[in-house]
Amino acid sequence: MKTSSLYGAIFWRRNSGAWGIMAAALLMLVLYACLFPDLLHLSGLARLSQTWFPLAAVAMAQAVIMLTGGVDLSTGPVVSVGCVLSASVIDDGALPTIGGILLVLAVGAAIGGLTGLVVSLLRLPPIIVTLATSFIWTGAALLIMPDPGGSVPDGLSNALAGDFPTPIFVIAGLVVLWKLWTLTPQGFASATFGDNPVGAFRSGVKVETVRILAYAISGVLTILAGLFLAAQTGSGDPTIGAPYTLNSITAAVLGGVAFTGGVGTMRGALAGSLLLTAIISVMFLLGISAFYQYVVQGVVILVAMTLPLLRRN
Amino acid sequence: MRLLADRRAYRFLTTPTVVILLSCVIIWGVAQLAFPGFASFGHIRYMLELSAILGIVAGGQTVVVLTGGIDLSVGAMITFAAILGPSITLLVGDSGIVSVPLLLLITAAIGGVNGLAVSALRIHPMIMTLAMATILTGVMLLASGGTAVAVHSPVVVWLANAHFAGVSISILVWLLVAVLLILLLRRTVLGVWIYAIGTSQRASELSAVNERLVHVAAYSISGFTAGLTGVLLSGVTMQGSIGIGDPYLLMSIAAVVVGGTSILGGQGGYGGTIAGSILLTTLTSLITVINLSAGGRSMLLGLLVLGLLGLYARESRRA
Repeated sequence: MKTSSLYGAIFWRRNSGAWGIMAAALLMLVLYACLFPDLLHLSGLARLSQTWFPLAAVAMAQAVIMLTGGVDLSTGPVVSVGCVLSASVIDDGALPTIGGILLVLAVGAAIGGLTGLVVSLLRLPPIIVTLATSFIWTGAALLIMPDPGGSVPDGLSNALAGDFPTPIFVIAGLVVLWKLWTLTPQGFASATFGDNPVGAFRSGVKVETVRILAYAISGVLTILAGLFLAAQTGSGDPTIGAPYTLNSITAAVLGGVAFTGGVGTMRGALAGSLLLTAIISVMFLLGISAFYQYVVQGVVILVAMTLPLLRRN
Repeated sequence: MRLLADRRAYRFLTTPTVVILLSCVIIWGVAQLAFPGFASFGHIRYMLELSAILGIVAGGQTVVVLTGGIDLSVGAMITFAAILGPSITLLVGDSGIVSVPLLLLITAAIGGVNGLAVSALRIHPMIMTLAMATILTGVMLLASGGTAVAVHSPVVVWLANAHFAGVSISILVWLLVAVLLILLLRRTVLGVWIYAIGTSQRASELSAVNERLVHVAAYSISGFTAGLTGVLLSGVTMQGSIGIGDPYLLMSIAAVVVGGTSILGGQGGYGGTIAGSILLTTLTSLITVINLSAGGRSMLLGLLVLGLLGLYARESRRA
């Protein structure tokens, strides 16, 4: 009884930054459904989930890094690498498709792990390491595919971006995997040590190893967004990832993940990405100029940042 | 006595600024052997003109980074200035004598809003400037409809392209900005406060440093220099188009960090950033001369920046 009430209190506090955003995302979805009842059908839900998935994946990836006390400025370029790589290596047929997907995900883990290794070994702030690697991966994407092209098996495109909301189940699977990861000692450390790395180190956490693992996980999630974009568009585009760097930070920050590390939850980041997606989709469906979406996005961030501060005062 | 002079010379020669500038000269010399004409007067002047465009925006970025913040809105601000510049000439006349100062006033004010939000609302600088960048991009797209705007103002074209006794006006503008910034950082109370806030905000506030003034001033300066870079850039390309300022966001941060200023704030100065801007521009030119594909260029630049950071920017984490 006592344990459960303690857990409840901690659970409540950990989510305190995210309740508002979850409510806002839900409200936006209700508005969406009222304006466009199509959402309540399977195909409408599939369309929303496909718009949501890439942003959800990069928001989770960014949250993983931010929880370690860093920030990833190379998200967009890695998404591009994932997209062109998928369009190059994933072939028709069951085995080549699965093999190709695994290869792409392994490259993601390698990219992330390498970044984590540089951060840990060179003791450079993550923001400037990922700043430099953003040039490298931008170049790598262009080397793999200088112009949009390539192709992805139709089967994969239909499975991920067809008339069935597969992305929702993929996201649910990712959330479960993340939950399981945070139940392991390394996983728990990766989600919390950012708050106080020195304290964590003195408590016996292998901070450097855990950080590299966290960056590798983040790399897999980021490249997954690129893979999905390749499946969705049916081809590779070396610059498709560009907007995702800032959007991933926006979504994670909206969801209550703090730059200082150790504060925030994955569900918060997901709610943040869902809110952004719903806002943009509703504006698009209402026929509002795509240009307004930037202004609205900026204002939403500021409002989301300012409200909790006003409440605290 | 001799020993002291030697040590002083050694210390001077090993400051990041001097090391970087010397490496630039060496790179120029070696490149001249491989690519005759690389170190010719015309080409070096051209590289310095490009360095001026980068170095000016990196100046404001330096001041912000010294306070412990970061300005992610400079890319959008440059584009904003390049696109808004031609538009406000419709209101205040085509010459640019009124429109350029007015434009710089506007971008400085937008920077000031960043600073005000960072200090009064305690919004993280990265989030605030990111949101500002997003809003500016939207406003720009709405204003220009996404098309390029041609530049006519004689003042803008003159600032970016004219020469005075063989020296480009843009380099002279950079020199002026550099002198003013270095004087501000080294010789004024505000400069001392900027370093103090970057070292420890809490201690500074307890020591009666006017934290709000520092933040508003730092981000205003960054807005001003980004606006100035936007004006020069639009003068060089003779048009303002969407995305024109984007490369300068990452490059300005890279110039600051390569120049030895701590990304955590409180350490460094504009001298290093000047050297960093020249080095980065030199490397970019060199990579262009080597004739790699666009992808290869970007990769090589990233690797070089990473290598430079590994050499210069290593620091014990304070956080």
